[in-house]
Amino acid sequence: MAAEALYDMYSASLYGVIVRIVIDTAVAEDVLQESFVKIWQSFSSYSADKGRLFTWMVNIARNLSIDKIRSKDFKNQTKNQELENNVTFIDEQKNTVYKPELLGIRDLVQKLKPEQKSILDLVYFKGYTHVEAADELGVPLGTIKTRLRMAIQQLRKSFN
Amino acid sequence: MESGILELYVLGDVNQDEKHQVEAMALQHPAIKAELESIEKSMELYAEIYAIEPSDDIRGQVLNSLITNLGDDRNLKSSHSSNQRAKVVELTQQKSVNFFKYAFAACLTLLILSVATLFAVYNKLKSANGELVTMQLQTQKFSNKVNLMDHQLDILRDPSFKIIKLDGTAKTPNAKLAVAWSPAKQKVMIDLGRMRLPANDDQHSYQLWALVDGKPVDLGVFNAADDSTGLLEMKSIARAQAFAVTLEQRGGVPSPTMANLVLVGKTE
Repeated sequence: MAAEALYDMYSASLYGVIVRIVIDTAVAEDVLQESFVKIWQSFSSYSADKGRLFTWMVNIARNLSIDKIRSKDFKNQTKNQELENNVTFIDEQKNTVYKPELLGIRDLVQKLKPEQKSILDLVYFKGYTHVEAADELGVPLGTIKTRLRMAIQQLRKSFN
Repeated sequence: MESGILELYVLGDVNQDEKHQVEAMALQHPAIKAELESIEKSMELYAEIYAIEPSDDIRGQVLNSLITNLGDDRNLKSSHSSNQRAKVVELTQQKSVNFFKYAFAACLTLLILSVATLFAVYNKLKSANGELVTMQLQTQKFSNKVNLMDHQLDILRDPSFKIIKLDGTAKTPNAKLAVAWSPAKQKVMIDLGRMRLPANDDQHSYQLWALVDGKPVDLGVFNAADDSTGLLEMKSIARAQAFAVTLEQRGGVPSPTMANLVLVGKTE
């Protein structure tokens, strides 16, 4: 069944993004479900010539996650955790997926410069816009864009 | 390409205008499309490195919600076979439009039936409530009557009460009234049920008097009507040689108008 294949292929990657944005496991599970329902329902609006399927899906999941953390009832229950620690904090807590074929790449990612990785994670895993990231880090917009680009280029080099 | 807009596009961090711009450029320039593709692949891999497996329960839950949401996975398959796509999507839409049509009709029918049923039940309830109120009133009336009769029976059984019959005068030969009087309890009652007096009008009322050592003492007023019933308690008196009734101005007068004397009866 297509739904199962879709879920098995992408749920972990999407959940990794969602849980890093909303932090709370129960909320993240809700958002994951909402994301798949939305993906499923609006599938006819996805077109392959506008980009890769995962890019489209992760944007849906990220937007739902951001909607969730900006909603009223979520704000009431949020415990403040330091932003910079989020990714490592979660990696310590959850079962990250260890795929043997990713082991080498994981090491390469560790070679990203910290200031590049932190911006990439703020935007990709925390749902910040680059404008918000510039505010948060106290860095000019142009620098943010450059660092993002450098980070992704570094990734591309590593992955090829 | 150098501006970083492609990266922001992949990260979902562009506005609607920029989005269309990038998509238009990608369509025109294969180099840009390739660049985008490469960025997308990198981010996809990056997400995979940081993937977290959701719990197994969630898998079933999500898949169930997909099934209940759309019923089947036709939508997804349709986009894989691109030449069939338009046709299949159309069918699915037709099907869902039909489904909603029928669902709407069914809902409407159900609603009409429900309203009709509700209306019938409401009417039944209303008439049942009416009957209930009538019965309660009747019960109340009976119990009042029983109480009253109990009370009257007590008086008639009481040996301290004397029944004094007042007879009509020459003017009203047919008039009759029974007065129950207990000198010990100083109580005076008149029996309206068996009274025979012409009905008085609005401007007049009958007044009962006791004659004590030759002087009239006011014992209160009463009305005579065709449907008068029960015993009426009048003012109390301990000693009396006779009782008399006159027809007076409404509300009574301090001393009797002897010309209007209608009833009189001696106590001994």
